[in-house]
Amino acid sequence: MRKQLSKVILIIAAVLLSLVFLLPTYQDYQYRKRISSLSGQDSIAYVDQNQEDILNAKLKRLKLGLDLQGGMRVVLEVDVIQMLDDLAKNKDDNFRAIISEVRTQSSANDESVIPLLGKKYQDRGIRLSRYYGSIRETDAAILNQLKSETEKAIDRAIEVVRNRVDQYRVSEPNIQKQGGRRIIVELPGVKDEREVRSLLQGTAKLEFRLLRDPDISYKVMQSVDNFLSGKVEEDTSAAAKTAKKEQKPKDALEQLLAGSKPAETDTSREATFTRQHPFFSYVIPDQRNTGEGFVEEKNRDRVIRLLERPEVQRLCPVDFEFMWSAKTQPMGAEGKRYYQLYAVKRTAELTGGVIVDARASVSPEDNRPIVNMEMNSEGSHDWARITGANVGKRIAISLDNRIFSAPTVINKIVGGRSQITGLESPNEARLLEIVLKAGALPAPVAIIEQRSVGPSLGEDSIRSGMSAGILALVFTVLFMLVYYNSAGAMADIALLFNVIFILGVLAGFQATLTLPGIAGIILTIGMAVDANVLINERVREELAGGKTLRAAIDAGYAKAWSAIIDSNITTFLTGLILYQFGSGPVQGFALTLMIGIAASLFSAILITRVIFNFLTDKGVMPNFG
Amino acid sequence: MRFFKKTNINFLGPRFRWYLISSTLILLGMISVFIKGIDWGVDFRGGTELVLAFQDNVAIGDIRTALDKVGLGQSEIKSFGVERDVLIRTTQQAEGTVVGDRIKKAVQDAMPEKKFEVLKEDKIGPKIGAELRRDALYAVIASLIAIMIYIGIRFKFIYGVGAVVALFHDVLVTLGVLSLLNGVIPGLNLEITQEVVAAFLTLIGVSVNDTVVIFDRIRENLKIYRSLSLFEVMNKSLNDTLSRTMITSGTIFIVLVVLLLAGGEVTRGFAFTLTFGIVTGTYSSIYIASAIVLDWTIRKQKRKEQVAL
Repeated sequence: MRKQLSKVILIIAAVLLSLVFLLPTYQDYQYRKRISSLSGQDSIAYVDQNQEDILNAKLKRLKLGLDLQGGMRVVLEVDVIQMLDDLAKNKDDNFRAIISEVRTQSSANDESVIPLLGKKYQDRGIRLSRYYGSIRETDAAILNQLKSETEKAIDRAIEVVRNRVDQYRVSEPNIQKQGGRRIIVELPGVKDEREVRSLLQGTAKLEFRLLRDPDISYKVMQSVDNFLSGKVEEDTSAAAKTAKKEQKPKDALEQLLAGSKPAETDTSREATFTRQHPFFSYVIPDQRNTGEGFVEEKNRDRVIRLLERPEVQRLCPVDFEFMWSAKTQPMGAEGKRYYQLYAVKRTAELTGGVIVDARASVSPEDNRPIVNMEMNSEGSHDWARITGANVGKRIAISLDNRIFSAPTVINKIVGGRSQITGLESPNEARLLEIVLKAGALPAPVAIIEQRSVGPSLGEDSIRSGMSAGILALVFTVLFMLVYYNSAGAMADIALLFNVIFILGVLAGFQATLTLPGIAGIILTIGMAVDANVLINERVREELAGGKTLRAAIDAGYAKAWSAIIDSNITTFLTGLILYQFGSGPVQGFALTLMIGIAASLFSAILITRVIFNFLTDKGVMPNFG
Repeated sequence: MRFFKKTNINFLGPRFRWYLISSTLILLGMISVFIKGIDWGVDFRGGTELVLAFQDNVAIGDIRTALDKVGLGQSEIKSFGVERDVLIRTTQQAEGTVVGDRIKKAVQDAMPEKKFEVLKEDKIGPKIGAELRRDALYAVIASLIAIMIYIGIRFKFIYGVGAVVALFHDVLVTLGVLSLLNGVIPGLNLEITQEVVAAFLTLIGVSVNDTVVIFDRIRENLKIYRSLSLFEVMNKSLNDTLSRTMITSGTIFIVLVVLLLAGGEVTRGFAFTLTFGIVTGTYSSIYIASAIVLDWTIRKQKRKEQVAL
């Protein structure tokens, strides 16, 4: 009897524990029903009163996967190579060649970047100290340093992403590091994915750059135009000569303007102008002599491609770069939208690292949304110096290489304050505030995987999952009853406990229930009866062999034991491997499978045994059909 | 109630017939895979996949025309369960989620009056696709090895081999069937997604269940019936466990059919794979696994004189 008692206590404890774990889910469900049934004011009051309880229930309840509640899952990969590029000094052609080789090679497979880089330098016999660190350091030391820099950068990137997501106020976000340089971000219930993407990806590289003088800007534009139209400039550098041999400008021009190039026979003035001034036909110089160019929205991609060509880039002087405006402006009678092309210095005067606070606000002058920024003391000092030295000149404020505004410096700014204007909506200002406050990403991140599930698909999935689950349960219960009679009824009781246990364990471990997870529970229902089938069949055999009921039950359990153990362990093993391999929902499935197997072993063996013993002690004969 | 009264079927006698049937099935399946190729889902191929739920019916042709305008006319477009839901898939890669946005915008521009909701959107970069494929292969191989080792330890090495041969057979046959039936039944989408790979691994785990139960009975019977040959003991064991095997497989099968029919479009490929897999799994556990062990043992016996079991 004592053995029996301890078993009973164990079972009751397990059931109670499961129910305790599942209670918050029930509570959360009740709270939600209550809140949605109350009207506006009442519901707010209700939430305030029971705030702590509601929050508690929400935190501890059974979590639904993204595929059931809707939301986004994004895998970001930190662009370590870009970071290595930015960290280097004295960059020359050799350096650039190596970096691009490393980039192509590491994108083909998942090779670790740092050792690859080291090898490339070794192969060419160049010391790393030429571009990194100091000349006294060995290659190995520098590689180590770079490695720790990249690891720190990735951790910092995770922090930045976490900060941004926190401020964006997603409920129950999940951010994890994966492998060497990946970040998994799960955002349940997110509706506007475009916002989220820009939130996650924007490096938030804030820069203050001086504009180049208008005459220099126009001179460069003119030379680009000349080059493209075939009046090739004399360029004495060897590189340019070889480049000339590789590709005739006119053919290249034809390629680029394919689709819009006027036919040779088209002699209209527009066509002639386009042929003679391939650059200026798309880039309209500002009549106010600011050095800017205006490009119609539809032509921007074309101009970008023109400017990307290495020959064109070589025409730009050393400290010179073209940069685009972030937004378009309507211009002209038809109100067509135009981007602005600015000529800026290549090196930034000041970067976002000096920003300590940012606040979205509304400009008192014209009621448009703006973001006010404050700098740290060092930044304020530099800012005062820069503005003092450049009164009357224009400084462009750019974010991720897109210029938001380029105001003229009126006088020296001492307080370390600045503003970003030219924003479209208060929402954009808010996003910008979050991104500036949380910090700049140390390196660009690319979205390499994104999965989003709309909320209605999520609801559908829950509904179909649950109906399939209930159907499966009903069928199994009925079948066991009919086929194995009262022994089958015992198995059914064990099965029901089983389901409670599985859900309880999931809730207890704060694991997530996904749609494949529900499928896993359904599968477990089918498999859970297996142990009981094994036992019941064995007992039937023993009974047929002539044993008493009690003896047959004992023998049945004993002999079925080894088969039950072996078969369940093998299935558990595949579940384990599946858990390792899978990601997201598949892991959810593997988890419910493993928990289901463990729970079914527990309930099938322990619970039915206890019930049988109890009944036979009382003299009731369970029927094995 | 009993479905299976005391049976005495000669399972292992005609086993060469079963070897032949199995080999033919596998061959047919592999031919189909060879010709049609494996229909990797977007998880493994990389690219973008969108499911749009329209409020009214849309013609797939119209959607294709719309996508053609942005150079995506080659995308796969099919219905997702119900007629109003459309699945659009392309392997084109671009920065971030550009492709998905392009698709949505193209459809919106071409048919502004047809409102749609995005049910789901997946974008998989090329690196991830290749990695997932590699991981899937490793997972299947790892589980087969793990099972072989575990059963080899609990029984004898040859039993491990027999079990794994049967499992490998299940994987190949199911793969073949998926390939053959893909696109044949309207509305049934049988591409290889992550969930389908999970179904394969599960099928390995569940099929080995049956095999282990039979092996366990063989092990037990060998101790009891020392005078019978391995062939006779195996046959007896198969008959002894037949009732249990069929009941369990039957219950799981019906549960899976419920999932297949009532579980919604998202789990359909998974449910189908597993449903079919259970059938071959049961078949292979009964007809193939023990047969392999038997034939191997006979061959070994011919080389030695003693049989130590």
